[in-house]
Amino acid sequence: MDPGVRLMERVLARDVAAFEALYDGYHRLVFGIGLRMLGDPTMAEDLTQNVFLKIWTAPDAFRGGSFVAWVSRVARNRALDALRSKAAHPESEIPADLPLEGALDDDVLARVDAQRVRDALAKLPPEQRGLIELGFFGGVTHQELARRTDTPLGTVKTRIRSGLKRMRDALGERVSR
Amino acid sequence: MTFDGDRDRMMESVALYALGVLPREEAALVAAFIANDDAARAEYLDLRAAADALAHIAEEPVDSGRSARMKERLMARVRSDAAAGSVARRRIAPAYPAWLWGTGLAAAAAIVFSVVTVIQDVNLRGDLATTQRRTAALQVQLAQNDRIARQDRRTLTDLLAPDAKRYDVAAGTVVVRRDRIYFAFSKLPVLPKGRVYQAWVAPKGSKQVTPSVTFTPNPDGVAVVALPVDATRVGAVAVSVEPDGGSKAPTTTPTFVRPLT
Repeated sequence: MDPGVRLMERVLARDVAAFEALYDGYHRLVFGIGLRMLGDPTMAEDLTQNVFLKIWTAPDAFRGGSFVAWVSRVARNRALDALRSKAAHPESEIPADLPLEGALDDDVLARVDAQRVRDALAKLPPEQRGLIELGFFGGVTHQELARRTDTPLGTVKTRIRSGLKRMRDALGERVSR
Repeated sequence: MTFDGDRDRMMESVALYALGVLPREEAALVAAFIANDDAARAEYLDLRAAADALAHIAEEPVDSGRSARMKERLMARVRSDAAAGSVARRRIAPAYPAWLWGTGLAAAAAIVFSVVTVIQDVNLRGDLATTQRRTAALQVQLAQNDRIARQDRRTLTDLLAPDAKRYDVAAGTVVVRRDRIYFAFSKLPVLPKGRVYQAWVAPKGSKQVTPSVTFTPNPDGVAVVALPVDATRVGAVAVSVEPDGGSKAPTTTPTFVRPLT
């Protein structure tokens, strides 16, 4: 089982030590998402504080599944909020928030590690890899991706779909349901 | 964007939705498509799995000084909150006698008074009022944006939730999750000017319908509608075509009537 899931069960019971362990285990992930999306260490720090405070004050928002996937989505949505409030991008360029529920089965995603994902990403053609990384961490819409990479919109869509399918295949059963 | 017209194009949008790069309005349409299509839902879950795995590569080493500072700030807040929470839960009597509260209030009032006096002395009152007005306006705007974002987030989550109940109806699906009801239409006929679709709800155990929201699909017949009712009290829903502005009772044969059993 995802260790985050076990810790969240104790955080629900207001266990401060479990919360501290959760923070120790996952703050680098949340900070990293904030840094990549906001491009500013101070903002990434604030985002990390906000995400973990939210976890402490409303732990029941986590309804099971993969904790890594859930906390990543929470961090990403918070980063989008930050981009909206500081008007770093026009509203039309900021994508919709990610749904937080319906995450993968916990023990499946728990077995995928960073190196394996990097390897899977490295196997993609550069034009697919670039769009997927910029899409995930850029906090921009597909239209903006097309503009920034000077690629027709239809090509952007096709490359993202093909790239995600290849990633899923490369990660194999570790991300299949 | 019709769901039948260009299926491949819609499936590509499913991938964009899984990656999280669709703007709000388009995301809602794709969520409606996924809610109506088993194959699209299966592909969404697969691609979302691949997209979720990407988070693993975000992990960044945080320099030790920053890491310690962040943790200290956070844990101070959490420990204080935990202590306050446990005091509240134990319902311990106030630690100070009542008269001391009065003294404290007087001291606080004195501090507030002296702060106000200082502000007046430096003649900043006008600037302060302007700033406060701007801040208040900004707060209202931010609160409104936040409310819309939360509502969108909830709608998208509900439409795709595995535990949602789905009822097929003409041109779409009725989605019920917990106390919330949505219509996700993919191909509603576009109406002539002056006509709108109107939702109706019948309370459990009743055949009488009461009027709900009116709505208009986009030019391709797509609409996602959240009904402002408590789903746990609703026995059936219906939709009919009505004059612009809506009616108090249906004036045409309903497009569908769907018991929520």
